[in-house]
Amino acid sequence: MPPQMFTAKLADKQVLTPKFTHYTFEFVSPNTMTFEAGQYISLAVDAEGHRRSYSICSEPAKQHAFELLIDNTPNGLGVKFLEGLEFGHEANLLGPLGKFVITPEMASEPLVFVATGSGAAPFRSMVLDQLQKQSKVPMTLYMGLRYEEDMFWQDEWQRLQTQFANFHFHPTLSKPSQNWPLCRGRVTDCLTVHEQPPGAHYLICGNAPMLADVTELLKKAGVPDDHMHNEKFH
Amino acid sequence: MPNDNADKVVTDSKQIGKYKVEVLRGKCISAGSCVAIAPKVFELDEQGIATIISQDGDPDDTKLLAAQSCPTAAIVVTDTSTGKQVWPRE
Repeated sequence: MPPQMFTAKLADKQVLTPKFTHYTFEFVSPNTMTFEAGQYISLAVDAEGHRRSYSICSEPAKQHAFELLIDNTPNGLGVKFLEGLEFGHEANLLGPLGKFVITPEMASEPLVFVATGSGAAPFRSMVLDQLQKQSKVPMTLYMGLRYEEDMFWQDEWQRLQTQFANFHFHPTLSKPSQNWPLCRGRVTDCLTVHEQPPGAHYLICGNAPMLADVTELLKKAGVPDDHMHNEKFH
Repeated sequence: MPNDNADKVVTDSKQIGKYKVEVLRGKCISAGSCVAIAPKVFELDEQGIATIISQDGDPDDTKLLAAQSCPTAAIVVTDTSTGKQVWPRE
């Protein structure tokens, strides 16, 4: 679907942690949007015309609405706009945009998602989409954060992991408490200690240094370039 | 990240609409939103920097949207009929 202009109203806002907020918008006009998991929207964030891009974190089957995961810490124009938006108020956006999607060819191989922070947003859309399509390929999500208190969507990932035998979730903390029982360090550390499925496609989303580190690690492990797909967050 | 081409402006001489776009290479961070919105005007080169492939590939309003979506304001839009810079606003 080529990108087009939409208006949507704020329907829900959930403060997940002091750092991350989950927004839900309902489309007003047009009242639905067809998109692929992993795509993003360009949101008008002030009257002057500035726009900011955000990955859609909801699944494509939910065409009447879209959800965004926002990292509040940059506190820039986009964050200020969203924080000031009241329930029922409308926002203007352009979408869907982007080619960071799972192609049919990729969907037939194991999928490994690697995210830090709000880089998990497109992967929530992708994982929900694949599971709703009853995909049976192994899917593993590595999600890197700093502290336990930064963690979000944990209950949802755990529930999916329990409900679907082909989905696995590995939270990784770079600054965990002493009692943290799971992966420590960077996502690359967790990727290194786990055996990876042969032929997997790796989808990587985060800041530029993280993308570079993961790509280097995977290249050394012999993963071909056409099995690495990334989206840089700014 | 600043580089040697920070002040280099990439333009294309051919245009039909009244808006002319320019890319400030030194400000481009390879976000790619311009390419997603106006793919017939912008592309990313081998270094991942936005370049202009045609001034008349997409309509003026699409070119302006592409510029406004750039998180670093690396795209300058000028109205050739008035000579005024349309984006970023001065």
